Amino acid sequence: MSTNLRRDVAFPLVGAVLLFALFLGAGALYQGLLGGHERLVTFALIDAVIVLGMQIYIGNTGILSFGHIGFGAIAGYAFALLAISPVEKLKRVSDAPFGLADVQLDPWTSIAVAVVVVVVVAAVVGIGLARSGAESGAVSATVITLALLFVTHELARNWPDLTGGDRAGLSFRIGGALDTRVPIYLALFGTIIVARLFAQSRVGRLAVAAREDNLAARAMGVNPLIQQMLGLLLSVAVVGVGASLRVYEKGSILPRDFFFNLTLVTLVMLIVGGRRSVTGALLGVGVITAGRELARRLGQDGFEIFGIGLDDAPLDWIFRENLKTVFLGSAMLAFMIWRPDGLLDDWELDRWLRSRFGRRRSEQPATPPMVEVDGTDALVVRGIDVAFGGFQALRDVSIDAGRHEVVGIIGPNGAGKTTLLNVITGMVPADSGTVVLGGVDLTGRPSFEIARHGLVRTFQNLRLFSALTVRENIEVSALVAQTSRERQPPDVDALVAAAGLWEVRDRRARELDYGTSRRLELARAAAMSPSFLLLDEPTSGMSDAESTSMIEQVRLMAGVIGAGVVVIDHDLNFITGICDRIYCLDCGHVIAEGSPTEIQADPVVQAAYLGSSAQG
Amino acid sequence: MAELLQNLIDGLGRGSIYALLALGVAVIFGVMHLLNFAHGELITVSGYVAFWALGAGWSWYLVVPLIVLVSVTTSLVIERLAFSRVRGADDFTLLLTSFGVHFVVSAIFLLYVSASVKTFSRPGWVTDTFAVGSLRIEVFDTVVIGVTVLALIGTSVLLQRTMFGLALRAAAADFDTARLMGVRSDSVIRGAFALSGALAGIAGIFWLMRAGATQPTAGVNPMLKGVLAALIGGLGSLRGAVLGGLVLGMAEVLLRSRLPDSVASLTEGVVFLLIALLFIFRPQGLVAVAHAERV
Amino acid sequence: MLQVSGLTTRYGEISALRNASLHVGSGEVVGLIGPNGAGKSTLLNSLAGLLEPSEGTVTFDGEDVTGNSPERLLRMGLALVPEHRRIFADLSVEENLRIGGITVPAGRRQPLLDEMAEQFPVLRDKWTMSAGYLSGGEAQQLAIARALMSEPRLLMMDEPSLGLAPVMVDVVFELIASLRDRGRTMLVVEQNATRMLDMADRAYVVRSGAIVAEGTGAELRDGDRLFETFLGN
Repeated sequence: MSTNLRRDVAFPLVGAVLLFALFLGAGALYQGLLGGHERLVTFALIDAVIVLGMQIYIGNTGILSFGHIGFGAIAGYAFALLAISPVEKLKRVSDAPFGLADVQLDPWTSIAVAVVVVVVVAAVVGIGLARSGAESGAVSATVITLALLFVTHELARNWPDLTGGDRAGLSFRIGGALDTRVPIYLALFGTIIVARLFAQSRVGRLAVAAREDNLAARAMGVNPLIQQMLGLLLSVAVVGVGASLRVYEKGSILPRDFFFNLTLVTLVMLIVGGRRSVTGALLGVGVITAGRELARRLGQDGFEIFGIGLDDAPLDWIFRENLKTVFLGSAMLAFMIWRPDGLLDDWELDRWLRSRFGRRRSEQPATPPMVEVDGTDALVVRGIDVAFGGFQALRDVSIDAGRHEVVGIIGPNGAGKTTLLNVITGMVPADSGTVVLGGVDLTGRPSFEIARHGLVRTFQNLRLFSALTVRENIEVSALVAQTSRERQPPDVDALVAAAGLWEVRDRRARELDYGTSRRLELARAAAMSPSFLLLDEPTSGMSDAESTSMIEQVRLMAGVIGAGVVVIDHDLNFITGICDRIYCLDCGHVIAEGSPTEIQADPVVQAAYLGSSAQG
Repeated sequence: MAELLQNLIDGLGRGSIYALLALGVAVIFGVMHLLNFAHGELITVSGYVAFWALGAGWSWYLVVPLIVLVSVTTSLVIERLAFSRVRGADDFTLLLTSFGVHFVVSAIFLLYVSASVKTFSRPGWVTDTFAVGSLRIEVFDTVVIGVTVLALIGTSVLLQRTMFGLALRAAAADFDTARLMGVRSDSVIRGAFALSGALAGIAGIFWLMRAGATQPTAGVNPMLKGVLAALIGGLGSLRGAVLGGLVLGMAEVLLRSRLPDSVASLTEGVVFLLIALLFIFRPQGLVAVAHAERV
Repeated sequence: MLQVSGLTTRYGEISALRNASLHVGSGEVVGLIGPNGAGKSTLLNSLAGLLEPSEGTVTFDGEDVTGNSPERLLRMGLALVPEHRRIFADLSVEENLRIGGITVPAGRRQPLLDEMAEQFPVLRDKWTMSAGYLSGGEAQQLAIARALMSEPRLLMMDEPSLGLAPVMVDVVFELIASLRDRGRTMLVVEQNATRMLDMADRAYVVRSGAIVAEGTGAELRDGDRLFETFLGN
């Protein structure tokens, strides 16, 4: 595991230090050489904390949240209510509930309590998100978060006893606000580290897998809801810290401070830099801060740079403010149209450093030994019925498979083969019948549970985690296998080598050619160390030569993990070459069963494939 | 009892406007899978045009069709400039694009027009009421309900009886197959935006009449109501959008009358909370539309 | 009428279709048969404009139409009855037919609808019913009638007998036969190779993304050899 410690802890730490230094350096440059306001830089540092908090969730889960600033409002108000002195609170919220008017905690405890409060709220909201079926790109999740933003805003505006209302808000006494940057530096440094370590952690990786392909992740045993909840809680905690610091620095809080405007600013920062990367998020903060500043100056100095004066323009402060908003909105639009992945996509400084300086020439591992297979964990499928509307897709289908076998399922299009596979792996419910593995009834369980029990599948349409590298794809399954499988898979590197993927192990899945992609999908499934590999048309789209080599691949993968194989395919060459027994399906039920030779000679099978003559 | 009836009519009056807004949002979502956060901007723009026209001496008889015309035009312009370039993108991109458009349009208004509220005269009958038994009914509410019914009938006729409406419904059901039939994607999408603009225009007339004023942020509230109502109804269902609008209007009025005075101002907040809860327990909305996942 | 030369279509890295060449003459019925996953649908989808080929040319009536959009191809006379039928389930039978005729001048549409009602009595009986309630066989007839509404010069069909009960398969093939007898030019992808070969003038065998055999219906009809061609021995 030493490779992983370097990749997941050491390099991220080094990268974090560098990023922190670079960010601070940029700020110092701006302040020193370009005469920038100190406060601008301070706010940029705080915004970076908030944006990184958002990145932890939005970047890793792919779920767009409009609500993080709403969480920020909750933390901000909690912090203000705890940290502001009773004397000041008397002026605005003398009737505050829960006796908050008389409470005062030191600022750091206040931040801690505020974070606890907002994380609890996030847990409740998170349950709601999970129930709504949140998934990368889902509209329903985004709408819930938007509703949250509005709820907090409305509550803040209309509960003056608690929040000081819309006009007055809450404020520290003059001079009581934050006067040193040290806590902000600490918070930012800590946040960068936390964000990178999370992305490299088990939870982070599984969340990213679910982001790339929710269905495939579940088929590999990942429960996306858990990863998304954990990501949400961590991200909200970070945003809570950032929001509290923001209030502390500003010295006051009003409902409009944590509403649409801050949401727009932080989202644009995240998008511009690249929401999938911590380095990107920081870059986005820098670029947008600079851009806003430029827009503000243009508005203020009235284009004087270009020789056009606007000095006496009425209400030119409006011009200034709104030039900023026009800039932000335009930036958002421009990037969505031309570069939705942002400037850096998912590039990370420490990963680049590692690829340049951290590479050790590693040797290609030897092929793992074949595993002895015992008779346990047989797959027994009995009496499966599935109807879609009025259409009977499967009728009383039963198959058996042992772990020492390769069992094939063939049949014309529409015969129900993929439906059968979907039923076995829990993606489609059966109307009746049972799926039993090693005596354990798996019928009707969610797909990620079935995968963890030992039934893992590949997909007809090839579902890889496209942004992840070959190695990372396989690692996802290995990570899940660690906690769910008794019999551990071979080392990830050994599997990569056995699958013939050693040369491309650091290439992203989406860059691979078709045949290599198929082998990767197979290896990823194998890395779960399942009892059975269920393959859905693994040679679809392959040439005859590629199909033939697939026979060896499948035998090898199954052999090194000691799994049985159930394979659907149309390539009869491939099927007869690899299978010990074959079932033939037509019109939803089994019409023939036997060895390859028996099946090939069976006239019933021939008729099913070539089609029967006219009835009438 | 009388109070309940009163609330019912008030709720219908409000709900009608929300229903029109929601329908406008749903029409675009059906065809492009885009939730249009810029929908409210159509009302903002119309409001300013109305202010200018009324100030120049136009009568409301002329301003009413003008509002609809401006709304349709603005809708088409926004489609051409922004949304046409992100067709077919994933939901994440579409949502953020729409968000961005909302900001750019409202900020441009703030830049080039004053930030202050512009008031204009409302037609006299807006504040009139008449009595039916023990109820006081606003003339305005009856007009709104009446016009909305007509607009809904008109839209229904458009969708059910014209080739354009047929093309729109087919494209919303299965865009690719519609193209196989020869339906042109450009025509259908622009038509959807035009229809959406017309509906927003009609809703805008009453919104502006009731408000008697406009400002750069005038569009946020209608947009919100429209989007939320469409979601309550269930995205992808036009009937659901109308239902969602009516439900939202009713809920607002009933809540306001039921909540104790001290917390009456929290009505909006409570409404949002209820909406959030609805999405948690019934994320597909009130009228569910089937959605299959191909494995 | 239709000339296809060297057509190659890719899904990302997959070459789903490799160097396919075929032709369809006016009045001919040409079949595309072969095992599944072979690329037959990819071929039709490429011809119909739903997929863009990366190499090769498609010529329709002497005009190069490679890469044209579906809307344009339909107006030139190329209609596709897609795989799985893809009728508009929420629209009525009549509305499905109407939209099939959207490119036809308004005056011509009603006479065409009347024609379809006559040719397809099953549809006439369910004229105002929501198309989602039709059985598989009825839906297939609707899909074919819908395509005929555009008065196509070349009618392409993707697996018309897919998922249908044997009785309905008969009905569909009878329908295709009657269209043939009326001189319709058709290119049909079919799983049911035997029946397709009975019906067609000529056929191509597609396997693993390439055309591996060509001949008249009678030539290819020999059962054992055909099965072996499917297997790839």
